[in-house]
Amino acid sequence: MRASALISLIVVMLMLWFLVQQSWPYWQHYGLGSFVSGDWYPYESLFGLAAAIIGSFWAALIALAIAIPTGLAAAVMSSEILSGPWRNLIRGSMELLAGIPSVVYGLLGLWLLLPFLQSSLHLLTGHNLLAAGLLLSVMILPTIMVMAQDALSEVSASQRDAAASLGMGWSARLWRILLPQAWPGIRSGILLALGRALGETMAVMLVVGSMDRIPEPFYNLLSPAQTLTSRIGREIGESAFGSMHFSALMACGLLLALVTIAISLLAHMHTDSARAT
Amino acid sequence: MNTKKNKITTVPAELPQQVAANDAGDTSLHVSKLSLALDGKNILRDISFSLPAQGMNILIGPSGAGKSTLLRCLNLLHSDWHGELRIMGHDARCWPEGEDELRRSIGLIAQKPALFPCSIQQNIVFGLSRKECSYMPQIRIEKVLKQAALWDEVKNRLHDHAATLSVGQQQRLCIARALMLSPKMLLLDEPTASLDPRSKQFIETSLLELAQNMPVLCVTHDIEQAKRLGGQVIFMCDGHLIESGDSKLFFKYPNRIESREFLRWSVCDCS
Repeated sequence: MRASALISLIVVMLMLWFLVQQSWPYWQHYGLGSFVSGDWYPYESLFGLAAAIIGSFWAALIALAIAIPTGLAAAVMSSEILSGPWRNLIRGSMELLAGIPSVVYGLLGLWLLLPFLQSSLHLLTGHNLLAAGLLLSVMILPTIMVMAQDALSEVSASQRDAAASLGMGWSARLWRILLPQAWPGIRSGILLALGRALGETMAVMLVVGSMDRIPEPFYNLLSPAQTLTSRIGREIGESAFGSMHFSALMACGLLLALVTIAISLLAHMHTDSARAT
Repeated sequence: MNTKKNKITTVPAELPQQVAANDAGDTSLHVSKLSLALDGKNILRDISFSLPAQGMNILIGPSGAGKSTLLRCLNLLHSDWHGELRIMGHDARCWPEGEDELRRSIGLIAQKPALFPCSIQQNIVFGLSRKECSYMPQIRIEKVLKQAALWDEVKNRLHDHAATLSVGQQQRLCIARALMLSPKMLLLDEPTASLDPRSKQFIETSLLELAQNMPVLCVTHDIEQAKRLGGQVIFMCDGHLIESGDSKLFFKYPNRIESREFLRWSVCDCS
């Protein structure tokens, strides 16, 4: 057990070391100024990170805004309202959704979502941040739903009975007992889902539009955009190993790795503290 | 005290509904031919009895007799039973203000204290709405804590987390929490099981005082505790109501062979 934990730690450290080493020329040359620059033109040696950071932020935010209420509603429905067979059906469906490869989601997005957005919103193209966010929301929904359902089912029957005995109605029991007590597990699910939303590459790359530009205005979700992952996925094959372009892409990777590691640690810390209390 | 009011009347199952309805006028709780099956197994079979308007009532019987299930039926936590249940003269299934309001009128204390993860004071007012909390004077909290024999122990630490209390204190806090809703009756499911003698004494004293103003129905399989609490006794075994009556008479001259067996061996084989 300890050996496998140590091996995992060593692999993560090696990965980070590799990313730092490969991105070092980029940081030396561009420094922290790269975070505020939105220009990314490799042939002109312009490698600003802002456009991709903003794109990742919006895509993840849209995904969470849709998946959190939907996932929580599905978890409450499944855990508190539905009977055994229906509960198992929903749970099974969610686990099935979680197992579908992301490229399949991407293809479905290309085939169904983009034409739908284009025609219903009268856009020149359906490739945009909204499409990426919608697709991601479906992909992270199972994580939130399954973890929330597990957390809700861990609220003890004695607490539920005590609340019911006090004459608290279903809605009061939900808001005052179930959700507060299940919150640590729900929060961990949200953080893990956020990690997946930020790290998802293939599906996002197929629908986001890959436009290296900060949306104008910056909250324009109907604009084609770029995320950190889609940029790496699309350009890594075109960059020469050891070039500044390659180094800049490694810098994107390092940024992603640090954010997702921080989110995972945060989720684990919250889970541990919840167990301790 | 009015002896008529303090006498449990076991209503024979074959009595017509009209008689039962008339009888319910003098009682706080009237149960007629109550049956419950869970997962195809009969848990309660044709239970009929009435509780007076105030006084201590003890529900005894061996483990698995259906005592706790009966309490849950009385509080509508189980609602798929058959039969008739009238509380304060009203049909429990058609309680004027709804099922949740009925539960507020009937305090139910579980065997193991189920406190919410917040402070002692927040636990006491947990069942109140935000509006009720806003005008609930501190003196009311003090009153219910005194009724539950807990005030002296927690008066200086009302804002401490409820988990810092001992199990006995937690159980009394559950009683105080139920009393905060001004219930019309109190149902307790083995409230002193696994408590130390001192805590038992506190709770028994508190229950006897409460029973002077409202009907208290306390489940126990501890015969000595049933004798101490006195009042009226309902004896159940294997889902049947076997015998009921004044506790002194019941413990001295039990009528049924099952009752004698239980009083002697604390077990009963009536299946």
